[in-house]
Amino acid sequence: MGPGSELLLKLDGVSKFFPGVKALDSVCFDVLAGEVHGLVGENGAGKSTLMGVASGALIADEGRVEIAGREMRGDPELARNLGLAIVRQEPALMPDLTVAENLYLGVPERCRPTIAMSVGWATQLLRTWSDDVPIDAYDRVASLAPGQRFIIEIVKALASEPRVLVLDEPTEHLLAEDVERLFARIKNATGKGVAVAYISHRIREVQKIAERLTILRDGKSQGTYNARAMDEQHIVELIVGRELDREFPPKAGVVRSNPAVLEVKELHGPGFSDISMEVRQSEIVGLAGIDGNGQREFIRALASITKRRGLVRVNSRDLDRDNLAAASQAGIRYLPGDRHQEGILAELSVRENFSLRSLKQDVFGGLLSRRNEAERAQQSIWAYTVKTPSIETPICALSGGNQQKLVLASVLASEPKVLLVDEPTQGVDVGARMEIYRILRETAARGAAIVVVSSDGQELAGLCDRVLIFSRGHIVKELSGSDVVEHNITTAILTSTTVRERAPAQTANFWRWAAGDTAPAVTLALSVILLGIYASFVNEFYLSARNMSGILPLIATLAIVAYGQQLLMLAGGIDLSVGPLMGLILVAQSFLLVSDASPSHQAIGWALVILIAVVVGLLNWLLADPIGLHPMVATLVTFMLLQAVSLLLRPVPGGIIADDVMESVGYQIGFVPVAILGAIALGLALEHGLFRRSWGLILRGFGSRPEAARVAGVRPRLVLVSAYVGCSVLAGIASIPMMAQIGTGDPNAGIGYTLASLAAVVIGGASLFGGRGSFVGALLGATLITQVNVVTAFLGLTDAWQSYLLGGMILVSVAFYSKSRQMAVAK
Amino acid sequence: MNMNIAVASIDKDMGTLHKRTQSGRWSLGEFSWIWVATAGLFLLSAIVAPGTVTKGSLFAMLPFAGILAIVATGQTVVIQQRGLDMSSAGMVSLAGVLAAIFGYRSDSMVLSVLAATGICAFIGVINGVLIARAHITPLVATLAMNAALIGVVRDLTGNAPVSMPENIQEFSHADLGGLPYSLWLAVLFIFIVAIVTRRTVLGRRFVAVGVNPRTSIAAGINALRYQIGAYLVSAVCFAVAGILLAGYIGNASHTAGNDYLLPAIAAVVVGGTPFTGGRGSVVASGVAALFMAQLSQMVLALGAGSAVQLLVQAAAILLATTIRLAPALIHSR
Repeated sequence: MGPGSELLLKLDGVSKFFPGVKALDSVCFDVLAGEVHGLVGENGAGKSTLMGVASGALIADEGRVEIAGREMRGDPELARNLGLAIVRQEPALMPDLTVAENLYLGVPERCRPTIAMSVGWATQLLRTWSDDVPIDAYDRVASLAPGQRFIIEIVKALASEPRVLVLDEPTEHLLAEDVERLFARIKNATGKGVAVAYISHRIREVQKIAERLTILRDGKSQGTYNARAMDEQHIVELIVGRELDREFPPKAGVVRSNPAVLEVKELHGPGFSDISMEVRQSEIVGLAGIDGNGQREFIRALASITKRRGLVRVNSRDLDRDNLAAASQAGIRYLPGDRHQEGILAELSVRENFSLRSLKQDVFGGLLSRRNEAERAQQSIWAYTVKTPSIETPICALSGGNQQKLVLASVLASEPKVLLVDEPTQGVDVGARMEIYRILRETAARGAAIVVVSSDGQELAGLCDRVLIFSRGHIVKELSGSDVVEHNITTAILTSTTVRERAPAQTANFWRWAAGDTAPAVTLALSVILLGIYASFVNEFYLSARNMSGILPLIATLAIVAYGQQLLMLAGGIDLSVGPLMGLILVAQSFLLVSDASPSHQAIGWALVILIAVVVGLLNWLLADPIGLHPMVATLVTFMLLQAVSLLLRPVPGGIIADDVMESVGYQIGFVPVAILGAIALGLALEHGLFRRSWGLILRGFGSRPEAARVAGVRPRLVLVSAYVGCSVLAGIASIPMMAQIGTGDPNAGIGYTLASLAAVVIGGASLFGGRGSFVGALLGATLITQVNVVTAFLGLTDAWQSYLLGGMILVSVAFYSKSRQMAVAK
Repeated sequence: MNMNIAVASIDKDMGTLHKRTQSGRWSLGEFSWIWVATAGLFLLSAIVAPGTVTKGSLFAMLPFAGILAIVATGQTVVIQQRGLDMSSAGMVSLAGVLAAIFGYRSDSMVLSVLAATGICAFIGVINGVLIARAHITPLVATLAMNAALIGVVRDLTGNAPVSMPENIQEFSHADLGGLPYSLWLAVLFIFIVAIVTRRTVLGRRFVAVGVNPRTSIAAGINALRYQIGAYLVSAVCFAVAGILLAGYIGNASHTAGNDYLLPAIAAVVVGGTPFTGGRGSVVASGVAALFMAQLSQMVLALGAGSAVQLLVQAAAILLATTIRLAPALIHSR
């Protein structure tokens, strides 16, 4: 790095406001070509926000961002094109796609190989990470451990040949040897003139890799320094703040003689093991440690949100059962850290959010007293100074700090004996923080036992009587009395060994196979064959040419409409209107493709198939995407509209379709109708595209996780409009073989295909949430359903069996797929 | 208690048509539109098709409106838990058939109705377990269940309608204070569900689970129980509707329920209960059922066939959903 080095990333005076919080306060940060610039600070100091601004994911409220000399404002696409690659704390990967597919979609187009080459290319990239990397290019991302996903995210960023590389806490989930590898790759990149921004809260790591480092505290830069010339002590002081920024309420002092309220003996659970501790009356105990070391998992298990083994006693009484009711009964209350996901009922009012945890207090004569509830809520928001226009305001309209105070007020209204608090002041401004500390201390003074998990050392030091340090699921150190100061806590956390061990967890081969894309096809094909063999044993006419030529066109029709349903479902949509659409097209044909129709009429008739389908597809998309109706509601409306139009045109079936049209559509080679050959060919072509063409990758990637796909440059609106129109067009095509079966304009002929197409794709292995599915699966699903409907007659079963078998097939297949996919997901 | 609270605490669903929006202006609440629309519809009917608001005509429409309202009530409860119950078609059919079979065997109407409803409730619990416990998508699980139920009904009836016992027929045709029983039952169901969801601990927790299951669990609520319970309640609603319907038509068949699947979902949507869970109003769904029934009557009286009815219903759903979305769409510009 010389004085002539080019400035590749420059953030100048950047400020960013979130409701109630100033996340960044005119921060300056720049990275030169060939340099690693470290960014350190505690959780919530604003590091990720700053990098969000740099990558275009967030727009700065003040200041400017320059990448390679060009200004960029909240435009991730431009940032990527200017050569910025980012490794996020949450890898932006699509879980249902393979490693190779994720890498392919994740790099800019200029860096992509052909799809046919992508597996070899991906394997090569993984090799550059390590020769014995335990990841296969064919692995589905959902089946990878968190650390492995990070490796993919890093490999992806390096493969996009960046000029600016941003790494956000990259080592959090990595094994020690992978951290070494990462550092080697970073050195290699800087050697080629890449500018690297390295964010971490691990000071030693940053000092090892970075030339300069900038320290962030509460959204303000504490200066930029030469990384190696500074001693660790000094950095810690800057991270934490020399002067005491915050005032804490006085601690309780003598609690040693108080009776124990909460006693825990040899507790085991997911993420922690063998924890014994106790909390006394009026005592606040802090749990500290780097994220993921078991402290959070421990209090969640105490609250009975997750399972546990071991002894828990509250006020000397054992909790005999491990369930939510027993925990509630014993007076254990939990204040969640993730306020949006677990703390509030966003759309409901302040009043309803307040009373949620203490509803019984408002019950008079079996009914809730609205008046009493409102009074309690009002008193509480005054007592805890929650700022809200009224108690009927939806809680989501409040600032973060006021939401948090209200949730705390709600928890306290339920009179906890043991209060478990996860990150009491996350996303809360300084003023509200002080009040929350005061409220917690007052609650303790009234006799409650409080356990606080926090990643903020200063908070723990100021608030807690005792602090326990967690590492790898165990308590490794206890600080009490005058030892409870921030420096001790931070030192204990940072010096506790946090080397991860390689998890031996491997899913059984059977479940891995069952979760794959071939399993549904193989299972279904086997079922079809076995059922066929059985049926032909019972009744020899089953395999007769006559029977086959009857069944095959039915399969063709259902298969093609199921392709349409599958296409849309891959993108996460659903179309109820396919059935009526097929009916409408049939009705239209019954006017145009009649025996005395002129050639021009006939031409119009065929063109209309596509035209009607495209218009209906666009209508569905319009209602579902831009207007924003639920896809079920949107396509239900179209369902009714189309059926209405069909019935207007043909109140009763009528109009005979011309014989020559019927003959050509129903043409058979031997006993094999052309329609089924067409359906099979179409299915194979679509299947090929789905797995071997970029549109297929984009469709599956979008359905798997729209946000990750968007980050990879996929345009959501384009994907959705194509999927809706594609679905309708395929339903339109399916109406052609149906025409040969019905032969007349029957407005009700198509209706049954809506549910049948859904059943076919679901049996074929599709996920209703998008991302998973296959056209071959849909074809086989359609085959099985049609076969079952026919076979019951041959086996001498009653009609009822058609329904039983259909219902049973759906449930068994869905249960099997969801179980196997669950088993194959990394724990 | 100050004035603000007094104003705010008036039940916005059952009492007033208005609520105060954040900007402080008075405007229609999301579940209040349907009242205005229904009043407007009857007014319009009186003008363009006076025949549909005569006593006789209303009496022909109200029993079906009541039955639809009961089905819609069940569907609303499930949709509040972010679910959907497609087994309503099979359940409505099955309940009618079971009531008929038990009715002939036991002679006691109460027993036969209880037995039929009990069996449906049990099936509802199976639905709930498949969805909440085995994590099968509601649409798929209830579709499969529906297929199985239709199978059972076909087996029981041999594909031919079975006539209902006299006592159930009489009950379905009976009226109280000039209004048909089915309407009273619908009002009773809606009233009970509305009171329970708004005014009891059970109901409030139920709503909380629908809005955000994770928050509810963190608050110590056993979410699973409420999620499964929703399908039990819906099954009971469908069963009662099915028995009433069979009693009213005079026979039970495997196709009887088909006419109540989509119209009930339509009524829920028109009533304003969103598919996103939590918020919802059975009162609005019930009024919407009345709205849809009267809409059909009016269109029919104007000489249009079932095609135009469908068209008008589709338009009603579209209007109902876009009107509520309009403010958001305009704001996002």
